[in-house]
Amino acid sequence: MDLELSEDEAELRQSVADVLDGISPLSLVRSIYEGDGDDRDLWARMVELDWPALTIDEAHGGVGFGYLELAIVAEQLGAHVTPGPFLATASQFAPAVRELGDDAARARFLPLVASGAITGTLAVAEGGRWDPAAVGATATREGDGWRLSGRKDAVMHAATADEIAVVVVGEGGLGAVVVPRADLDLRPRRTIDPTMPIADVVLDGVVVPADRVIAEPGSLDPALVDRVLDEATVAIAMATVATCRAIFEQTVAYAKEREQYGRPIGSFQALKHRMADMFLAVERANALCWYAALTIAEDDPRRREARSLAKAAVGECQALIVTDGLQLHGGIGFTWEHDLHFFLKRAKAGDGLFGGALAHRAALAQLLGLVDAEAVA
Amino acid sequence: MKLTFEDSVEEFRREVVGWLADNRPTEAEMQADPVLSSAHVPAWARAWIARQFDAGLLVPGWPPELGGRNASAVETLVYVEELNRIGVTRHPNPQGLGIIVPSIIDYGTPEQVERYAMPILRGEMPACLGMSEPGAGSDLAALSTRAELDGDRFLINGQKVWTSGANYADVCFLFCRTDPTAPKHRGISIVLLEMDTPGVTVRPLPEIVHEHMPDLNEVFLSDVVVPAENLVGTMNNGWTMASGSLAHERGMVWLLGVMTLEAAMVRALEEGPDVLAALGAQERAVAADRLVTSYIDSVASRCLGYRGFAKLVRGGSAPEQALMKAFTSEALQRLTLLSAETLGDRGLDLGLGEGVVVGRRDGAWIERYFESFSATISAGSSEIQRNIIAEKVLGLPRG
Repeated sequence: MDLELSEDEAELRQSVADVLDGISPLSLVRSIYEGDGDDRDLWARMVELDWPALTIDEAHGGVGFGYLELAIVAEQLGAHVTPGPFLATASQFAPAVRELGDDAARARFLPLVASGAITGTLAVAEGGRWDPAAVGATATREGDGWRLSGRKDAVMHAATADEIAVVVVGEGGLGAVVVPRADLDLRPRRTIDPTMPIADVVLDGVVVPADRVIAEPGSLDPALVDRVLDEATVAIAMATVATCRAIFEQTVAYAKEREQYGRPIGSFQALKHRMADMFLAVERANALCWYAALTIAEDDPRRREARSLAKAAVGECQALIVTDGLQLHGGIGFTWEHDLHFFLKRAKAGDGLFGGALAHRAALAQLLGLVDAEAVA
Repeated sequence: MKLTFEDSVEEFRREVVGWLADNRPTEAEMQADPVLSSAHVPAWARAWIARQFDAGLLVPGWPPELGGRNASAVETLVYVEELNRIGVTRHPNPQGLGIIVPSIIDYGTPEQVERYAMPILRGEMPACLGMSEPGAGSDLAALSTRAELDGDRFLINGQKVWTSGANYADVCFLFCRTDPTAPKHRGISIVLLEMDTPGVTVRPLPEIVHEHMPDLNEVFLSDVVVPAENLVGTMNNGWTMASGSLAHERGMVWLLGVMTLEAAMVRALEEGPDVLAALGAQERAVAADRLVTSYIDSVASRCLGYRGFAKLVRGGSAPEQALMKAFTSEALQRLTLLSAETLGDRGLDLGLGEGVVVGRRDGAWIERYFESFSATISAGSSEIQRNIIAEKVLGLPRG
């Protein structure tokens, strides 16, 4: 197992970081928090730079990079607390079309993603569970199309997405449709992190024409939904652990410069040991994120388990990093004026979406055969 | 980044697997004459070491004359992995193989290599490491065992403690103070002391468990005479060499930490379903969740170790390597503790508890829990590890 970036991969990481340094400043994040900014110009810049095309295959007008490259971008987005629909589009909508849809669906939507003509997102969770077994929203036949009923939770960037992939259940099994955002009843939520906006989606009464059904209800293998969730979840995990690393690095830097009792507070052993533990938490989660990304990139059978290992470890990591990062900054980190809170809140958002540590630990207990499936459901 | 190594490495792995099948010591011979301490090398082990030496696998990265084949670091890792997979020790005198032999090769004379390093390497002269003292534990540089140079000999007086394997060792790699007037780091030298020299008294210090099988010892040194030619390297340069020695140790110890944790995890998961089935639903959920924590630790330790290793192989630095000792040793401690606790009153049973699926190998969890402190206390305690991480890796100022 070679868990270090190759030269090409390291070069990509550096160039992504350089671009984000320029187009995704913290002043933009602050402007969204304070209500006088949005992420439209940022997204336009990403489209100009061809980022939406990176992980779309060449047959559909993309660059043809794989999952590792997506993970590299996700990491830098997290490190910069970058707003915008990149992750929802590239790690949720596009994989949903690719994995759940047929050739016609891929040919219809993926080139639009690659060109930046549309953004998209994924509506799968219900009752706080990102799990094909938890899908209760239904699709029933109506003429040539399907009538939807039910509700989806916590759809990332739903309010601005052009297209929303929705996983539903029909008679005999799952299915998937792609619905224009304009056709859906969205309930945007006010959350702790306005730069990662989410909305609940009410599906009742929506009728989907046959040409927007990408996997006919009743026919969709739940394992395919899990494949999409692998990609979406590990991308969030990767972004979140990078946000945690940024908090950690800011904390160490602050501890070196802040002086009390005539010496830097970072010279006190009690704080040193806490920062050593923060470092471990970040590296532990980070290593598992790369491992999980690799299992997806190589389509290894361990990818389902690796998804939960990574997301659980990242959830544990952010709990420690947010607590100690804020505590060690003292009063200054507690202020609105200091930028630290953007990172703290993004780390929390990253844990809450696509299953937190709690959900993924429960999934691991089941995958390891330690508890029955019913105990988790 | 890849889940597997290059094809040539996997080819090497196949060769190693085949060779091990033909050449490994048998379970019967290992059980008939078990390894009793870190410096006890039974006859079967000497023969096994010789086979590895001749095949160039004992230390794969070294040249053939030192029992290697100039193999790459990745190939060495593969060999250690495959040995672990079949549960066979490479060399029952790890401090000899991992620290003392490379130090003598790096700093010693050709005569010392011939007389000490080669026999230690071959398991014919088990060695111990005389470092800690009653007044010098974490603060090793405070050691006070005195070696006075008197013509062509040293006269040595003092005491060592926690000396692993001294009760079986033939020779000791002994850290002594040779210049009491110099600053503490600058007055230390290393000599090779043959353990049957008059004035050397070894008193085993039975440990908290397995008291009948002590590995730690006190070593008393009273007017011990050692030839001056047994000085390793130059006078008063011992601290520099110690830093080198410990680097040798850290080079391989991370992998052993990972593999020990993984092996314990495999056992816990094998026993898990049976043990958990005996619990009520609420207890079962709690116990399962605690096992999950250890499972995350176990996979993470391998990923973290391999990630650092890959960086080192590429010639870069790997700050995460500094985390490995504290992480793997504390993770093993958590796992052994929770495994013992999950068994309730049965978790108190020693060895092969009756009616419980526990202790199939390596003793009861409660014993392994107490044993686990060996790794969190020795060779730089977990607290010292955190100081090192904070100061050397994170660059925080010294207190």
